[in-house]
Amino acid sequence: MTKDLFSGGKRLDGRGLDELRPLTIKAAVLNKAEGSAYVEWGGNKILAAVYGPRECIPRHDMDPYRAVLRCRYRMSPFASKDEHGRSGPNRRATELSKVIRETFENVVLLEQFPKTQIEIFVEVLQADGGSRCASVVAASVALADAGIPMKDMVSAVAVGMINGKMALDLTGAEDNFGESDIPVAVAARNKDVLLFQMDGELTKEQVNEALRMAVKASDEIHAKQVAALMEVYESKMAAQGGNSD
Amino acid sequence: MGKIVVPGEVVAEDRRPGFGVHVDGGKTYSSVIGLLDEKEGRVIALQGPYIPRIEDWVIGVVEEVKYAGYDVEIKSPYTGFISTKMTRAEFKLGDVVGAKVANIDEARNIDLMDPRRLTGGEILEISAMKVPRVIGKKNSMIDTIIQLTRSEVMVGRNGRIWIKGGNSAAAAAAILMIEREAHTTGLTDRVTDFLKREVGK
Repeated sequence: MTKDLFSGGKRLDGRGLDELRPLTIKAAVLNKAEGSAYVEWGGNKILAAVYGPRECIPRHDMDPYRAVLRCRYRMSPFASKDEHGRSGPNRRATELSKVIRETFENVVLLEQFPKTQIEIFVEVLQADGGSRCASVVAASVALADAGIPMKDMVSAVAVGMINGKMALDLTGAEDNFGESDIPVAVAARNKDVLLFQMDGELTKEQVNEALRMAVKASDEIHAKQVAALMEVYESKMAAQGGNSD
Repeated sequence: MGKIVVPGEVVAEDRRPGFGVHVDGGKTYSSVIGLLDEKEGRVIALQGPYIPRIEDWVIGVVEEVKYAGYDVEIKSPYTGFISTKMTRAEFKLGDVVGAKVANIDEARNIDLMDPRRLTGGEILEISAMKVPRVIGKKNSMIDTIIQLTRSEVMVGRNGRIWIKGGNSAAAAAAILMIEREAHTTGLTDRVTDFLKREVGK
């Protein structure tokens, strides 16, 4: 079954092919975590929390030379219609936990905290396409908020093919009814690709186009991540301005 | 007051290794969220875990009593250890102790020396990053607090502060004020004025 994902030349939500959905990011939203962030991106609502570095438990997982990074991605039972009522880890959540962890293993300076663990928890409160990318965006801000040293911040976005055209930032419907979905995570500074997956079939040229679109969009996303952190930390400093001496 | 930088932001156009930065290629980048000291190309972290250094005084809680000594939780990713060879005193599980960091090895084992049990009073927990401001240059800030409140105060570099006696409520309030306003100027005067008003009541 093919579904028509375009109407009058525009996507069903009115966007052009290379437009991002509305994205808002807030840092330091949880009191009990060392670092946290909340992301609303299109219909996605995602919470990320970071703990550590702290003692590595279980002890036998401990690495004497670096911190162990753990990541748990989880969808809440009400995140989407498909997940309704199902609880506990499933294969998809296990896969996403792994790819998100591997993304950050590239940038977190793990050698600075041997024998410890750093944990990233991502809760998807509502999903609407690109939740793993939104999770990476949230986790990156949460890690920075926690003061975990990193080489760089990471942003992510999914590109896909819908009705034969390459489109940026797929919605849930576009992902389900389109021909291909490619989530990409990009390090802000030097555009290193840290996560790259693909559903569907594409030619080499189309894959390159997808990568190009994702890298181009990453600057806009990174700017919002930085703004979210600045908002918290600048206001902490400015709040009690005091007199100058 | 410097500019706030985030991980991955350039802080120097040459190689300047140090805390809170990451050197890559020929440049230096911030690795944490912090304040940039542009002249030196250094970053002062605004967040992050407390990593003990030798000679730091810390306040911890005995979390395990072993034959060879005591494991002490010091609000750090790493646990402190008081060897029974280092002290005549005996501690129990849950005792609050002040001690000095004697040694840290590559495996991040932290040896503590000179432990003393802290009894009575209260413990304030603040961000370890703000402790230098509570102490002040050449102890100026903490001395002011102690003089004006006449409280016994022990400041742990790990973000725990023990206060006993005197006008301990005023001392605690002053310390929390410093934690909130740590990066502002004129703080010493404001704290002094605050304490004079409180103590005068």
